[in-house]
Amino acid sequence: MSAHNDSARDEVEPVDLSDPKLTRFEVYKEGLRRDDIEIIHYEPRFPKPGTKTEKRMERIVSGLFLLSGLFATLFVVAYIWWPWEYEGAATWQDPQTWYTPVLGFTLGFSLLFFAVGVLTWAKKLLPVEELVQDRHDGGSSTDDRKIAESTVDTIVEDMGLRRRPFLVKTALLAAAPLGLAAVAPLGALIKDPGDMYTVTGWNADKYNDGNPVGIMMKDGALVRPDMVSAGGQITVYPAIDHGATNQFPTAPVLLIHLREEDAEILRGNLYPMYQDVDALWGNFVAYSKICTHVGCPASLYEQQSQRLLCPCHQSQFNVVDNAAPVFGPATRHLPILPITVNDEGFFEAKSDFLVPPGPAFWNRPSLPEEDEK
Amino acid sequence: MAASAKRRRGWRKRLGALARFTGALVIVGGIYSVFSPSLYAQEAEDNAIDSEVVKGQELYDTSCISCHGDDGEGIEGRGPSLIGVGSAAVEFQVNTGRMPMAAQGAQAPASDYPVFTEEEAEWLGAYIEYLGGGSAVPDDLAALVENSDVAEGGELYRVNCSSCHGYAGGGGALSSGAHAPALTGVSDEEIYQAMLTGPQNMPVFADNELTPEQKADIIAYVQYVVNGDKDPGGVFSLGRYGPSTEGLAIFLVGMTALLLTTLWIAGKS
Amino acid sequence: MKRRKGSSDSLLTKAGGELDDRFKLAGPARVLFNKVFPDHWSFLLGEIALFSFILLLLSGTFLALFFDPSMVEVTYDGAYVPLQGVDMSRAYESTLHLSFEVRGGLFMRQMHHWAALLFMASILVHMLRIFFTGAFRAPRETNWMIGIVMFWLGFFEGFFGYSLPDDGLSGTGLRIMEGMTASIPFIGPWASAALFGGQFPGTTVIPMLYIIHVFIFPLLLLALITVHVALVFIQKHTQWPGPGRTEHNVVGFRMFPNYVMKQVGFMLFIFGVLAAMAGLFQINPIWLFGPYEVSVVSSASQPDFYVMYLDGLIRLFPSWELRIPPYFTLPPVFWPGIVGMGLSVMLPLLYPALERRFTKDRGHHNLLQRPRDNPGRTSLGMMVVVFWIIGVISGGNDVFAEKFHISLNAMTWAGRIGLVVLPIITYYVTYRICLGLQQHDREVLAHGLETGILMRDPNGRFYEVHQPLAEPDEHGHTELEYNGWVVPKKMNRVGALPPQDKGFFKSIEEPSENGASSHEEIESGKH
Repeated sequence: MSAHNDSARDEVEPVDLSDPKLTRFEVYKEGLRRDDIEIIHYEPRFPKPGTKTEKRMERIVSGLFLLSGLFATLFVVAYIWWPWEYEGAATWQDPQTWYTPVLGFTLGFSLLFFAVGVLTWAKKLLPVEELVQDRHDGGSSTDDRKIAESTVDTIVEDMGLRRRPFLVKTALLAAAPLGLAAVAPLGALIKDPGDMYTVTGWNADKYNDGNPVGIMMKDGALVRPDMVSAGGQITVYPAIDHGATNQFPTAPVLLIHLREEDAEILRGNLYPMYQDVDALWGNFVAYSKICTHVGCPASLYEQQSQRLLCPCHQSQFNVVDNAAPVFGPATRHLPILPITVNDEGFFEAKSDFLVPPGPAFWNRPSLPEEDEK
Repeated sequence: MAASAKRRRGWRKRLGALARFTGALVIVGGIYSVFSPSLYAQEAEDNAIDSEVVKGQELYDTSCISCHGDDGEGIEGRGPSLIGVGSAAVEFQVNTGRMPMAAQGAQAPASDYPVFTEEEAEWLGAYIEYLGGGSAVPDDLAALVENSDVAEGGELYRVNCSSCHGYAGGGGALSSGAHAPALTGVSDEEIYQAMLTGPQNMPVFADNELTPEQKADIIAYVQYVVNGDKDPGGVFSLGRYGPSTEGLAIFLVGMTALLLTTLWIAGKS
Repeated sequence: MKRRKGSSDSLLTKAGGELDDRFKLAGPARVLFNKVFPDHWSFLLGEIALFSFILLLLSGTFLALFFDPSMVEVTYDGAYVPLQGVDMSRAYESTLHLSFEVRGGLFMRQMHHWAALLFMASILVHMLRIFFTGAFRAPRETNWMIGIVMFWLGFFEGFFGYSLPDDGLSGTGLRIMEGMTASIPFIGPWASAALFGGQFPGTTVIPMLYIIHVFIFPLLLLALITVHVALVFIQKHTQWPGPGRTEHNVVGFRMFPNYVMKQVGFMLFIFGVLAAMAGLFQINPIWLFGPYEVSVVSSASQPDFYVMYLDGLIRLFPSWELRIPPYFTLPPVFWPGIVGMGLSVMLPLLYPALERRFTKDRGHHNLLQRPRDNPGRTSLGMMVVVFWIIGVISGGNDVFAEKFHISLNAMTWAGRIGLVVLPIITYYVTYRICLGLQQHDREVLAHGLETGILMRDPNGRFYEVHQPLAEPDEHGHTELEYNGWVVPKKMNRVGALPPQDKGFFKSIEEPSENGASSHEEIESGKH
């Protein structure tokens, strides 16, 4: 086989297509010759037609097609008549839970049988063939290149691109703003981020007419100290309109009731800025629930090891040390919401967070006090 | 942490325990009992230490005392104080095979073969309750769960539980080797006890944070989603781990099947 | 060859004539029918991507009939009991509706998602094949670059599609994307505000992602796929070196009927596998995740696998934050998230040019290289593969930690160290393996195959008889030169003999009825 090379094909003579004695195959081969293809090896899979093995192969393929049709029919039948509507908690004995599997099984196998049928046909019944075709890699012929070059030159000459440089320059000059004009409407998307990273739903002036913002649970119930037992925690939101919705993505807070001994440690570790505003109330501390890494809720509170874990990137925060990061990619503590209890016995926020909660952003001010111990 | 602080903590703990102990015994029916209805039951038992408590103490002194100390006061570095944890906590830990712990570790693993029978767990619970009160599972839990709101439970579950146990209750990893267990195959009582007492690293969800009705809602949701409903989307749920096992499946099942097919298609016949 | 009967039947001839009268097809059609394609299993990997894309278009069209990309808040009152009465966005509600109240909707959704995963997985595998065999070299650099661009289009197309249902898991993904966007120097916060129409999550992001997901990106992908396939067609497929195969020819079979039948069969097979997976394996059960709420998260929150390596890098990156007080901050997520992604786009895009520059190899290459024959490139590729795998594993390190009871912190540290150390070790080991394989090839070519026959020479030493691969020349040498072909390593591989006994359940090796065994037919066909 290695004797074949590109020159072998040149030996094949063109045939005269008007010759009436040509067989179909000879005409066909002339087509191959014109496409620079040469047959290395070509023979029917079954040299003698109608042998037992050939018949057997045909039977297999047609069997596969019939099976495919059968499964397709089953699919349509199941699609229409199999009970499918969701009816509440169900076990594997309820037929509607099998609707999707039955669809997948029937359609899948219908397609697979047809596929194997076609593939078997191609592999076992088509003639064994090996052909070699000239690749004609590389560029065009020198003539073609020369002609193309002259053509382009003629076009350039006709337009006078070389003779009229001023025209070209003004066209380019105009095209630049025109291009800009094409993308300018995208500017409709631009919005001033404003204070969206720094002001949260706890801001009394912006969201509560200057009155301290109360603390509520998701269902709107205001939170009292006795609603959180030692070692417990609840997720709380600003008690304002839509305070517990996604409109205030940096507002959710984890209100933790520390055990006495843990609260003692936290009080010892508290950053000066939190000491100054007396951010804790009793043994209660309110940490922003939004991770300072990229903003998932860091809400896996481990009440024995006193860690808060963020499930997205495994940042870990030390609850008894201002929720300072102790592991993982986070770099900042979870801001504490300064809280107190009002005259009616409900929690309320003393102010907004002292530092922006949530993930860092490019123009986030780096306040020196947040690193102070 | 400095050694002195440690010592201070231990001392404080013991003093606190003593105070609570006497408080429970002496000021029965005081302000404390308003917040803890289960103490009404204990009121009667206080007069005559009944046999359950005695039996519980016997078990305690053989199996628990080495870590949790005399009279459940706890031993620093080995086991926490059990005063005030209540019978629910004890029954949860013992019935799920977490206690007694075989060896100190990041976390007590659950076991299918608890050391004590349920009856013995009850005795232990009674003893611990006798020591310091605490919380217990309401008797009408079944009725509460029966009349609960699954969707409400779902909302509560997602806010309070899914961060550790996962949306589908498959459990999850915590820091440094600890983990939140999967919720598959757990009983209503176990879920209730766990919420009520906050075993190990789990935060406490006492009746103040989640009312018994809300707890029942959560239980109903967990039982519906984790243990009740067959996955409608297929025969294999891929552990409901989400994209990680789905990614594995596309390579191990889809890609492998198709690579074998390419070998067959292009193979010499 | 004489099996084919007569000429084409008259109806076909007539139809062909009518068509040719109008479109002048006879010439081009012949060229198309006769085009020769090389045959190798590894040339079918790109097809997996192509055909999953077709299924994505089909199933996606179905989904679009029912999905409503709106963030209007509604209260669910559909069939799924545990969410009844819950407030959610219309997007999430319509996805639930599609899953529970549309006949076959869940099946179609799952098929769409599995097809998306297969699309990305097959692009990766296809890309590895192209890389390790050097198929990206001139004249095919353009097509390699188009392929890389398509991978990234698919990456975002997939991520956006995963985000559309506005469920708890995908919302967490968007949240992370917002954090990454806001970390970009100078434009970060503005870019984030533009993306989300103000503060995250806002109400505009889902409609925006929707139009990108169902119109812009599919259109771009479709256009690029067309160019990609057209270039393969025009430039003609590469082939493995072998007997009779040169840089200037293509050895294989014709487009019609052989190639097209195999393609159609393979397409149906891929559809079949995806349909079966869609029915049997549950994927992305959004009803368990609930609507997205900023304060809700689940343990084991992962993106789809093709995003997972990026998430893994973000997990592993140390807490290094650059602060330029008092105004600017460069958060740690910027490095793996933005720089890491940028490098993941640019390095593969530029790799063909870089390799050209370093090897100064400007020639055209239509014959593939065996990976062992270019140990430098192979080792570099394995390095990237190992890096990627560690990234992916770290992207799911909490699942690993939980499932196999490993400490989460230990997983993170193992990932950090592994990410630095293992690629280097991999480079060295791969390089040695490549050299070893090369050496063995040449040994076999020089001395022949091991026959397993032990002989004893007169001095009592044992030695193994080797079967030379070539006839001795006039000097009695049997050494052959290595030329990139597969070297037979076993006696029964000499001459690539087929297995001695055929048949799956029973032997079909009995003499065929025309007297000659099937072996002889093949032998006689070769010259």
